[in-house]
Amino acid sequence: MKENPYQPMLAIIENVKEEVGGQRAIKTFRMKFKDKEIQKNFTFQPGQCAMVSLLGKGECMFAISSSPTKKDYIEVSVMRHGKVTKALHESEIGDVVGVRGPYGNNFDVKDWKGKNIVFIGGGIGQAPLRCLINYILDNKKNYGKLDVIYGARTSEDLCFKEEFEELEKRKDINVHLSIDVKEDNWKKYVGFVPDNLLKVKPSPKNTIAVTCGPPIMIKFVIQNLEKLGFNEDQIFTTLEMRMKCGIGKCGRCNIGNLYVCKDGPVFSYKQLKKLQGER
Amino acid sequence: MMNSYILLKEDLPKFIKELIDKYKVFAPVDDNDVTLFKEIKNPKEMNLKYNNSKLPPKSLLFCQTETLFKFTPGTKGKIQSPGIDNGKKAVFGIRPCDAKSFSIIDPVFKEDFEDPFYLSKRENLLLVGLSCTNPYSNCFCTSFKDSPASSKYVDILLTDIGNKYFVEVNGDKGKQIVKSKLFKPAAKTDEDKKNEVEKKAKDQIIRYQKTDGIAEKLDKIFENHFWKEVADKCLRCGACTYLCPTCHCFDIQDEATMTDGARVRIWDTCMIPEYTLQASGYNPRPERMNRMRNRVYHKYNYYPKNLGVIACVGCGRCIDNCPVNIDIIDVVNRAGEVKP
Amino acid sequence: MVDENLLQDAVKKTVARKDVKYVVGYDKGTTGFQAAPTFAFEEKDADKFIFSPICVNNLAVYPILEDKPPLRRGEEPDSRKIGIVLKGCDSRAIVQIIQEKGLKREDVVIIGIPCTGVVDPKKLKNRFPGQIKSLEIKDENDNFIVTVDGKTQNISKDELMPDKCKECEYPTPIIYDILIGKEIKGLKKPNYKEIEELEKKSLDEKWKIWEKEFDRCIRCYACRNACPMCYCKECMVDILDPQWVRRSVNLSENTAWNMLRAFHLAGRCIGCGECERACPMDIPLMKLNKKITKDIQEMYDYKAGIDAEAKPLLAMFKPDDPEEFIL
Repeated sequence: MKENPYQPMLAIIENVKEEVGGQRAIKTFRMKFKDKEIQKNFTFQPGQCAMVSLLGKGECMFAISSSPTKKDYIEVSVMRHGKVTKALHESEIGDVVGVRGPYGNNFDVKDWKGKNIVFIGGGIGQAPLRCLINYILDNKKNYGKLDVIYGARTSEDLCFKEEFEELEKRKDINVHLSIDVKEDNWKKYVGFVPDNLLKVKPSPKNTIAVTCGPPIMIKFVIQNLEKLGFNEDQIFTTLEMRMKCGIGKCGRCNIGNLYVCKDGPVFSYKQLKKLQGER
Repeated sequence: MMNSYILLKEDLPKFIKELIDKYKVFAPVDDNDVTLFKEIKNPKEMNLKYNNSKLPPKSLLFCQTETLFKFTPGTKGKIQSPGIDNGKKAVFGIRPCDAKSFSIIDPVFKEDFEDPFYLSKRENLLLVGLSCTNPYSNCFCTSFKDSPASSKYVDILLTDIGNKYFVEVNGDKGKQIVKSKLFKPAAKTDEDKKNEVEKKAKDQIIRYQKTDGIAEKLDKIFENHFWKEVADKCLRCGACTYLCPTCHCFDIQDEATMTDGARVRIWDTCMIPEYTLQASGYNPRPERMNRMRNRVYHKYNYYPKNLGVIACVGCGRCIDNCPVNIDIIDVVNRAGEVKP
Repeated sequence: MVDENLLQDAVKKTVARKDVKYVVGYDKGTTGFQAAPTFAFEEKDADKFIFSPICVNNLAVYPILEDKPPLRRGEEPDSRKIGIVLKGCDSRAIVQIIQEKGLKREDVVIIGIPCTGVVDPKKLKNRFPGQIKSLEIKDENDNFIVTVDGKTQNISKDELMPDKCKECEYPTPIIYDILIGKEIKGLKKPNYKEIEELEKKSLDEKWKIWEKEFDRCIRCYACRNACPMCYCKECMVDILDPQWVRRSVNLSENTAWNMLRAFHLAGRCIGCGECERACPMDIPLMKLNKKITKDIQEMYDYKAGIDAEAKPLLAMFKPDDPEEFIL
C-alpha cells in the first residue's frame, strides 16, 4: 500500500520553554518521536519546516528551530495566534502531537562554506535563523566571520534570551541586539533592525546575508543590504503563506508559479525579484 | 482500422451489463433535470441525452470529501490509518474534455509526494468515452487543438454514427474490453461516418480562445489595471472553481467529537477571501482582483511554466454557470490584447 | 421597452456628480443569453449601459460587496456614493438593507427601472441550444421578440420568464432618485400553489423530497455569496472555533446549511431568486425561501423590503408581543 503523506507520526512534547509572555506569547516546544526508529532516521537541513498537528484542532507548518546536529529531538518556536497555536500553547509536557516532515527547501549551507555569514532577524523570525546559527556553530571550521543582528519591539519580546547571553560570551560570533523603543535598563542599540544593520556595516566581500522577520522589516533590510553593496545572489530570506497540505498539492501557498511549501520557504533575492505574485 | 470496432446501439445495454459484472459503473444519470455521474446497477438508469454533466467526473477520483486518517482527539491521542479504496471502477459516457482533465491534474497528485487516495482510484478507473455530437453553448475544446471526438485520453471511445457506435481503442485496458463478442470490426464506411460526425461537431463550435503565447503575454501584464476591471463584477461565489474539471485546490480540516475524529480533505475555492487569510489577520490576496488574477494566471501561466500544459480543457462550465457573465474566453482574449 | 438613451443620460449625470464614486448597471455580456454587470467611473463609460430582458441580475449586492483594502496611515476611507441601476424587485433588497442599517439612504443613488419582466438564462439556453453568433431580445406586451442569428420569432413571456416575474408585485422600484420611464402598477400576486401542495404532504414525504435535493448540494456557498441579504462580516459557517457546521459534505451537514440559511433570511428575503440562479447544482432554493416568506406574511402580516423606515421584523421587540422577552 502506498504511504499516506498526509498522516503525521506521533511525537511527545518533552519540554516547553516560555520565551515571551503576554499577549503575543512565544513558546519553544521540544518534541521527540514516540517511535525511536523514526527519531533516529528523521534528518533535515537548516531552513526546512515541519507540520505539527494538534489532533482534533488542526495542523500548522513551523520552521524547525533546533539544529539538525541535535539528533535526539526537534524544536519549534511558536507564537500564539489562532486556533491551533492556542491549543499548542495550552499543551503540557507529555502531551502527544503529530509531526510530519521535513518539507521545503533549505539554506544552501554547502554552497556557503568558506564564507562570512550575517544573520538578520526580527521578532519570531529568529526561529529558522536559530536553527541555521546553531548548525553553523557546530561546524564552525567551515565558515568565516559570523554576525547576528537581532531585534524586537521591547526587551520582553526578544526570543531566546538565555541563548543570546551565551552567544554574546563567545568569541567566534558577534551579536548585535536591539529594541525599537528606549527602555531604562537597555544599554545596547535602540532603533529598528534595518538601521542597526547600517550601523554594524558588515562587508559584502565573500559574505552571505540571511534575513527573516516581518515583511516590512525584510523590505528595508534588503534595501539597506543593497546600499552596503550586497548583490542579489548574496541575500536570502524565508517567506510564509497560509498552508494546508505542505506538499504542493492544495494550491494555496503559491507566490507566482512557486509553492512556498515546496520550492520555498528559502528564496534568494534574485528569485524574489523575478517572482510576480502577492506575498 | 486495426483498433476500430463497431457496437450496435441495441447491444449497448448488454455491454453496460458486462461492465457492471466486472466494475462499479458510473454513468450519466438524470437527477431532477441535472445530469450527474452516479453509480448504476442497471443500464436503464442511464440518460444519454445530455451535453455534459453538471459536475465534472473529477469527483470520482478527487472526492469532494475524503477521510485522510482517523484519530482519537486530545492530548493523549492516537492515529488510525485509513483504508484506501482499491475497487475497480468504470465511468461510461465521459466526454473527451473531461478525460483530458485527468491527464492534466495527474502530475499534481503524483509529483514529490504521491497521493494514494487519488492515484489508487486513477489506476483502477476505466474510461469509456462518448464523443460529443452536439457541443453546448460555451464549449471551446477546439481552441486547444482538441476534438469533441478525440480518443487520446480515454481507454475506449464510442461515437454515435446512427444505429451503431464507432469504437476506438487506446491502450491495453481498452484492448481487454473490446475482446467481448459484442464488438465487431469496423468497416471503412463506418470510419468515414465517424469523421463526418466529428467534423459536424467541430463546426458547431464557434467560440474560440486565443491561447498562442498566452503565458508570455500574461507575464508582461501582471500589474495592469485590466484585472481590476475583470474582477469588479465577481461575486466571489466560487461556482466556477467547484465545476472546473482541472481545479484541484483543497482544504484540510479536523472534525472531531470528544471521543473520535477524522482529518478530512474537502474541495476549496481560491475565490473566497479566507483562502490565504493568515492567523495574524494579514491577507496577501485581500481584493477580488488579486484572487481573480491568481486564478487566471494559475491556469494559463503558472501551470504551463511548471508542467507544460494549460490547465483548461474548454468545457465551458464556468461560463455557463457564472451568475455575472465572467467569461474566461473573453478574459483571456482581451488579456492577450492588453498593451503592457 | 425602456429607453436606453434616457438610461445612459441618467448614468452620465450621476457619474458626473462629484460625490459619486461609480455607477453599476448592465451591459450586453459576451454570450447574449444574459447581461453582465458593468461599472461606469467616467461619463464616457455610460455608453455601454443597456436595459433589456436579459438583465436578470440583482445589482443590489455590489455596495456592500466592494473590497475595502486596509488603508495607509492618515488615509481617509472613500465615502462617496454609489449609483445603482435597480429594477423593482432589486430595489426591495436595498430598502431592506437600509431598514437593517447595513447602508444609509445617502450612500446610494438609485436609477430606477420600471420592469416588465426579464428572461431566465437557463430557459433561454434550452430554447436555443448550441452556439450562436448573436442574440437580440425585446419585449412587447405579452411576448418576447427574440432574434437569434438573424431569425426573429415571438415567444410568449410565460415560456421564458423566471417564476419571480410571473408573480411580480412591485415592477416599479420602491425608492429611486431618477426613474427611467413611467411608473408601472403591480397587478400580479404571489402564487403559493406549489408551496401549499408541499405543505399538504406528510413529514416523511417532505423529508424524502428535500433529502434528494440536499444530497446534490456541494456546499460551494454560491447561494450565500450571490445573495444581497447575506452580508455578515463573518458567516456562521466560516467560524472555526466553535465550528457550527462542518465543511465535510454529507446529507446531514448539507441540510444544516440550507435550513440555517433559510432561517437567517426569515423576514429578510425579498425573493430576487439570485441564490437559485447562482446554484451550480440547480437546487430549488426559492421553494424554501418562499415557504418561510409565506409563513411570515401569514403570522405577522409583514413583507420584507417595502418600507425603509420600518423596523426589521425579527430584530425588534414590541411591548405587546406575545412572548415576555426578546429571546
